[in-house]
Amino acid sequence: MPEVKLDGVTKRYGKVTAVDHLNLTVRDGEILTLLGPSGCGKTTTLRCIAGFIIPDEGRIFLGKEEVTRLPPEKRDIGFVFQNYALWPHMTVFQNLAFGLQLRHTPREEIRQRVREVLSLVRLSGMEDRYPRQLSGGQQQRVALARALVLRPRVLLLDEPLSNLDAKLREEMRFEIRELQRQLGITAIYVTHDQAEALVLSDRIAVLNEGRLVQLGSPEEIYQRPANKFVAGFIGLSSFIKARVVTVGADAAILETEDGVRFKAPKNGLAKGQEVVLAIRPEHVEILSAPSEVLDNVFQAEVMRAAYLGNSIDCRLRLGKWELRTQLPPGRVLSPGEKLWIHLPSEKLILVKA
Amino acid sequence: MGTKWQRVLLEGLLLCLVFFLVFGPISSLVIWSIAIRWYWPHVLPQEIGLAYWKQALGLQRDWAIAAVSIWDAFGTSILVAVTSTALVMVMAIPAGYALARFRVPLKALILLLFLMPKAFPQQPIFVNLLPAFTRWGLAGTVPGVILIHILVCLIFGVWITTSAFKAIPQELEEAARSVGATRWCTFWKVLLPLAAPGLLVSTVFVFITSLTEFTGTFFIGLPFVTTLPMLLYSSSGYNMQFASVIAIVLLIPSLLFMVLIQKVLRPEYMGGIIR
Repeated sequence: MPEVKLDGVTKRYGKVTAVDHLNLTVRDGEILTLLGPSGCGKTTTLRCIAGFIIPDEGRIFLGKEEVTRLPPEKRDIGFVFQNYALWPHMTVFQNLAFGLQLRHTPREEIRQRVREVLSLVRLSGMEDRYPRQLSGGQQQRVALARALVLRPRVLLLDEPLSNLDAKLREEMRFEIRELQRQLGITAIYVTHDQAEALVLSDRIAVLNEGRLVQLGSPEEIYQRPANKFVAGFIGLSSFIKARVVTVGADAAILETEDGVRFKAPKNGLAKGQEVVLAIRPEHVEILSAPSEVLDNVFQAEVMRAAYLGNSIDCRLRLGKWELRTQLPPGRVLSPGEKLWIHLPSEKLILVKA
Repeated sequence: MGTKWQRVLLEGLLLCLVFFLVFGPISSLVIWSIAIRWYWPHVLPQEIGLAYWKQALGLQRDWAIAAVSIWDAFGTSILVAVTSTALVMVMAIPAGYALARFRVPLKALILLLFLMPKAFPQQPIFVNLLPAFTRWGLAGTVPGVILIHILVCLIFGVWITTSAFKAIPQELEEAARSVGATRWCTFWKVLLPLAAPGLLVSTVFVFITSLTEFTGTFFIGLPFVTTLPMLLYSSSGYNMQFASVIAIVLLIPSLLFMVLIQKVLRPEYMGGIIR
């Protein structure tokens, strides 16, 4: 049974279409990430599901029930905000108990459930603190607990980690993932951070300009990006424009306008077709000497190299194209230096121009 | 050691200055209010007594003392101020909420409209209003004066209330909605407690403005409605003693309000505004 379903959801602000005929189904018990650059419509979509925004067109279902025009308080959702949005005049206990009190839950049960959920987010004993007495990470855990204590049908998270520092953010990614698995709750997670999306998600929905660009597991999205935008947004990619020259029995030959030739898997290519090669940094192999047996071996020139601690971020020039790669540290690279590189043909990603 | 003493000295001087700035003008009022005879060039009154206070509070009637009982005017003032404050806030709270949260058409114009009575000299406006008030039978009546006070005070009510609601992040409301609170419940349980400091400030402003309002009361209220400021203005200049008594009486409500604010404003509530 699909837990959340969007059917042609559209929201316009004046002339700008924030969300454009979005169709999306979130499966029961999965965590789905809405990923995209700022202004891609991901937050607007989430707020439509929460009921804070009523879409101009389309329908939204939670389970079998249509909720498109239902006010947020009747939707049985949990929402976690980027800025935590804890009520500053209430203690942690009061923050968590508020929703339960509105449902006329017996006092003893409220106490029990608040205690349970606080231990779940590792904040036991913090009941009497006020939000301002907690650190950012603790506040965000309280916000998560406040959403979870009501055992909602769907948990909606709007960039919940953006206000935390880098280290805490990384820890919390795993924590949220763990919690979601443990509780088996259906969750929709909004972020612009591709690393976060890759770590957290069962599936990722990549949005751009209000439209769904690609939907798939993190592996699918990373390994088989649907187009240039996805290839550039998730993970690093260098792009090379080329034209298909010949299509052979098992491979195709591509050539750029400045004469660089590549061998690539032929899957569905036609002669004369324009394609874009997306090359991941980890797919650039450095050779110590030129090779006769390998395909796609080129001599490239070092443009810039930056030391990153565990690796060296290096920009190479191949013809008129720039290639980005990461090398193990310990190697001294100076601009102008020539390197032999190998681009394994089976690892080349071809996307639509 | 030297720097420590310098600091203590500096702090002491500052304290004296603050003390002087706050209590200097008031102490002069207090001295005037108990001065029976005080002629130039004496620094302090030659004769002091509570005659003006007694007369003003209606405890004695002496034709030699130029003061009348202030109780009637005081009662009228409080009645007018409390009523107009209540009515202004009843209008200002929903209006402020709406202006802060919803996309109200012509919002800037509406806020400007509230500002209008303050943007022009008061006298022409009130003079213009007098015929209308007379036609409606409101001139020289307490309801008429209350109406004019509402006109003068609404600006403070609406502007401060609007910014009080604006200062509360929208997400706090949305969070309440997401856990199941209706718009109405959210307003009472989340918005109002968090806006309380701002609303209280707004109420104090409106109350004090109404309590000390003169021009409108003068044009619309006289000769039948006399408030404390009317008594004060009519006696100031030639009768400093009686004027000082009234001035001190006028100070009392604002001092009470200060104490109330201290008592009511819990730091948790302030948390919503200072963040």
